[in-house]
Amino acid sequence: MTIRFVLNGEPVEMDARPDERFVDLLRDRLGLPGAKVGCGIGRCGSCTVIIDDVAMNGCLLPAYKLEGRRITTVEGLGSLPEGRAVILAFSEGNAFQCGYCAPGFTVAMTALLMREDVPDEADIREALGGHVCRCTGYHSILRAAADAAVRCQKDD
Amino acid sequence: MKKSLVAPQIWHPEEVSEAWSLLKRFGKAARVLAGGTAVQLDWAAGAPVPEHWIDLNRLDDLRGVTELADGGIWIGALTSLSALRHGALIGKKLPMLCDAVGRVGSAGIRNLATLGGNVASGSGCIIPALLALDAEVELFTAKGLVRRNLRALLSSSLTPMEGVVLVAIVVPARLPAKTCFEKMGLRRAFTPSVINAAAGLWFDGAGNVVKARLAIGGGITPPQRLSAAEHSLIGIPLSALDWTSLKRDMLGEMRVPSDAFRSAEYRRNVAANAIIAGLGGGVALDAVAGKASAHCFASIPAFVPVPYSEVEVSRAAMSERWRMRPDVTAKVEGAFTYLTDIRKPDMLVGRVLRAGYPHARILGIDTSEAEALPGVHAVVTHRDVKGLNGYGIVIPDQPAFCADKVRYVGDAVAAIAAESEEIAERALALIRVDYEVLPIVDDAERALAPDAPLVHESGNLLADLGLERGKVDEAFARAAHIVEDVYVTPRQMHAFMETEGGYAEPTPEGGLLVCVAGQHGYRDRMQLARILDVDEECIRIVSSPSGGAFGGKDELTVQPALALLALKAGRPVRLQLDRWESVLAGTKRQPMRIRMRTACDAEGYLIAQEVDAIADGGAYASLGASVVETALEHVTGAYRIPNVRSRGRLAYTNNGFGGAFRGFGCNEMLFAVESQIGRLAEKAGLDPVSFRVRNLRQPGDMGYLGQVVAPSDRGRETLAAAAASDLWARERGVSADGRKVIGVGLAVALQGSGLGSAIGDSGAARLSLAADGKIEAAFGAEEIGQGVLALIQESVARVLGCERDDVRPVIGDTAKTVDSGSTTASRMTYVVWRSASETGPELSAKLLAAAAKEMGKQSEELAIGAGGIYDARRNVPDVPLLSFAALAQSLGEAERPSAECGFAFPISHGTVEGNARFLHCHSAVLARVAVDRVTGMVEVLDLDQHTAAGPVMDVANYSGQIEGGGVQGLGFTLTEDTLIEGGTFTSRNFDSYMVPMIADAPANMRVFAMEELDAGDPYGPRGVGELGISAVSPAVAAAVADAVGIWVVEAPFSPEKILIRTGGMSAPAE
Ligand code: FES
Ligand code: FES
Repeated sequence: MTIRFVLNGEPVEMDARPDERFVDLLRDRLGLPGAKVGCGIGRCGSCTVIIDDVAMNGCLLPAYKLEGRRITTVEGLGSLPEGRAVILAFSEGNAFQCGYCAPGFTVAMTALLMREDVPDEADIREALGGHVCRCTGYHSILRAAADAAVRCQKDD
Repeated sequence: MKKSLVAPQIWHPEEVSEAWSLLKRFGKAARVLAGGTAVQLDWAAGAPVPEHWIDLNRLDDLRGVTELADGGIWIGALTSLSALRHGALIGKKLPMLCDAVGRVGSAGIRNLATLGGNVASGSGCIIPALLALDAEVELFTAKGLVRRNLRALLSSSLTPMEGVVLVAIVVPARLPAKTCFEKMGLRRAFTPSVINAAAGLWFDGAGNVVKARLAIGGGITPPQRLSAAEHSLIGIPLSALDWTSLKRDMLGEMRVPSDAFRSAEYRRNVAANAIIAGLGGGVALDAVAGKASAHCFASIPAFVPVPYSEVEVSRAAMSERWRMRPDVTAKVEGAFTYLTDIRKPDMLVGRVLRAGYPHARILGIDTSEAEALPGVHAVVTHRDVKGLNGYGIVIPDQPAFCADKVRYVGDAVAAIAAESEEIAERALALIRVDYEVLPIVDDAERALAPDAPLVHESGNLLADLGLERGKVDEAFARAAHIVEDVYVTPRQMHAFMETEGGYAEPTPEGGLLVCVAGQHGYRDRMQLARILDVDEECIRIVSSPSGGAFGGKDELTVQPALALLALKAGRPVRLQLDRWESVLAGTKRQPMRIRMRTACDAEGYLIAQEVDAIADGGAYASLGASVVETALEHVTGAYRIPNVRSRGRLAYTNNGFGGAFRGFGCNEMLFAVESQIGRLAEKAGLDPVSFRVRNLRQPGDMGYLGQVVAPSDRGRETLAAAAASDLWARERGVSADGRKVIGVGLAVALQGSGLGSAIGDSGAARLSLAADGKIEAAFGAEEIGQGVLALIQESVARVLGCERDDVRPVIGDTAKTVDSGSTTASRMTYVVWRSASETGPELSAKLLAAAAKEMGKQSEELAIGAGGIYDARRNVPDVPLLSFAALAQSLGEAERPSAECGFAFPISHGTVEGNARFLHCHSAVLARVAVDRVTGMVEVLDLDQHTAAGPVMDVANYSGQIEGGGVQGLGFTLTEDTLIEGGTFTSRNFDSYMVPMIADAPANMRVFAMEELDAGDPYGPRGVGELGISAVSPAVAAAVADAVGIWVVEAPFSPEKILIRTGGMSAPAE
């Protein structure tokens, strides 16, 4: 089937099987390998993308669901003020080690800041609670996420 | 989502009636999809994918929450869980439902998933909450729109949702005055349901219960109401309720199944406990079992009079030393390229055919049909292996492709390179392998019985190591206190986020490029050359960066398959295991059973210890024997024990295959040792610190294996710091609501680094001035996340006197580096630091000489600084007189300075009984935990690690290793085990293997470091890659013991056993 959507601000029209996973389209066909596949069943968050302003698991999104959607992947976060704040805070805070989980966390945190102006720690824990990071033990990410929330406010 | 061979037909009905008609038309060939999250789990687990997908998302009328005229609340079936979770109306009116919704999936999943999907699945986590609210459902059926009571509907048939479309959930206006909901899981959050329980109570004006709804469900438990128990509540106030008999009633009527994760008994009890606790009945202690009481030391342990100085390793406390990792921004931006991210136009897709049987003889392999499939470019089997059909770091007993038999379910039998995933998948199914199934051996002890089936012809005993010193039996005979137990450790999975994969391609020069993340590129090259029967120089290995390794990429993974495929197809081939294949095929931590007997005298001095360990090595040797050897090196932990007898055996079985994992036997052994120490301290009537103080090794003591060890023993100092911690004074004992019991536990670690004395272990590096003026630092090291790039920059910059940014690390590529040894065994910190110390001065002198020549000055007048060469007498830093770039430009390639080094990793010389480490680091770990008396689960509140490993080279690296190792250790202790039954894995993915999530990490973690080395200690910083995991399990065990008086000896700790011992359920009848 032909599907049309807006990807990181650019219109995309492509042919895909309706049951093809969005994360595979990104990685294998659209040249955007930022989203990763850690589990393929919605249990690690490494494939997270923003669909119409909310974070979703790219491995659980069949192509037919993309029709008409506005999609931001990790590669497109730099164009969002929230995304820039998260990138800065996560980088300066050395939030990650191997970094394979980083795109998922960064996207999810950006989506949280798009929804909540002043997320508290519970909001952050809930928004990031479905993401596996095997390297850090999470605290470096939580510290940097709190910093991102503060920065985002300052930047407003 | 799993793709079927034919694309499904997607239907987008615009009306509910249309959806219903489609469902009627296609029957079982159709499936209604809303969020499509749960159904995909089923499909991934192998359920057939239907041909017709009826997507409801255009039915906008089915979305939203409204208050009905009668006060009821109507929730459209397509309302997403996050809309419910964050919606104002639900939050205000139905907080219990809001809470229940928040316990389903993750934030991302709740954005996709719908309430209707959760309910229609028939096993959704929210159903018990809805039953407790006495909810109704609106359905579209043959009769049009109908309203039914949810409970009545669920009990009407086994498949109540078949042939109907769920339109809405309606919560009636009269809401219960008291509610509770609880989801019990395998970990603290984002977990499969073990069981969910909910209750709703309605009262009359006098406070008597007039209506009660008690419900359970979730996971494998069919949703049900507990009618008899509900009945028993009617007409009385809660204050008059006999909670014990309520529990008995509830247990009596629950119909709950068991599975490999939790027993039915456990599920029933925690559900009943949760309802009672939720309704205010407190903790239901079982009358028979339940005498266990809190058992706090209630004291703050003895102060240890040893001076020490430590820093908290954090950005806040060490802000002036905080540096950004050179790779972090690219990683955060998604711009960092992993080897599994590469796609090229002519690249083929590889797949591996796995055995599927844990033990079988191969009678024949026929690949002709697969080869004939259009789009298939190469099929390889053992017949394509020209060289040694085997690999293994110690013994190469693992075939690249099995020829005569398979020994575990993940054994590679064949591989395919095709033009697309689909073709590869199809081709895989066309390979015919005839097997004769053989009896299996799935237990290490049974494997060593004389009549056990043989995994390898050489016998199942892979290693039998031991040591005896002193007069063990005599010492036990005069002991005042003896503790004996059997400690069990789990088959932990590395669960690196980037599964094994990469690509390979033939090079124009006739060689081969293999890009697969590993932990020692040069050894990978050696093993691969041996398989391909080519010179090592023909192969270039790129083995970095890696999306995590932890020991699990130390052995070869997919390199043999990729290499053979690329050579045969003559094209680039990529391949990455999906998570299930990674679970199936990849190495695991080898489970151990450690029998330990330890004795002390009346004063609390350790006098004897006996250890008998047996490990399940799985089907192949890999590093298994070295793990057992390392475990045995740590049998006395950080203590002096004069009389010791130790034995460790490793058996081949058909249970996957075991190998290296962070800790490498040390943390397994310390779990046992430190628990024994804690228990002996109790018996001797000493607090855990005092007992340790009198038994610790002293500076200058020989190592356990008789080896000389490096100076800077910090056993007493780290212990003193832990003893002085403010953690001991925090809240302990029974929590205010009676539900939790809080305890604090201590354990200490002595962790070696390096490969040991018995194996060659060397390091090397090359520094040079590159054409662009960067100082290139070439190391055969891998960036596996630990931060070796930052470490290299810091080490080299410190010695040269330049900035980190002036240094460009070049790593993980056999074409560009020198062999620095493996990125394992906490050894790379030392290797990098030592290399910089050795090569730095030489390079520095050469740079200055070259600059002096260029500038017409004397070397002595010049000095290296940020970005280049300065006047040595300058006292303000400014721009260099000559930048590195300008210097490089002025020199021809041959004149550009460089310096190389090669050295042996420090080992102890002299008589050593075994494989002994020379370098060690120390830690003293404190855990503060809360034991939940409703579920038996352990929550870690605080984890403090007081460490001593020499200078901190990079603040983020150091704290990252200790924190990350710590949480991996908590996984080992509390939730992680790769379940395997009859040689076949029950754990398949992150839905059935429980890595810690954010909610499982301790609420507070602190890392402390003692940086100072003894005067004259020339060995610099010790690596801390493993220190963070070393003593976590026994610290948690001690904290649990402090809280509830039970020493748990099997990891992961069984909540069921804890619940029995704390009185939350009765022990099952024998
Ligand atoms: S890959 Fe999508 S959640 Fe793990
Ligand atoms: S940084 Fe490696 S998985 Fe998170």
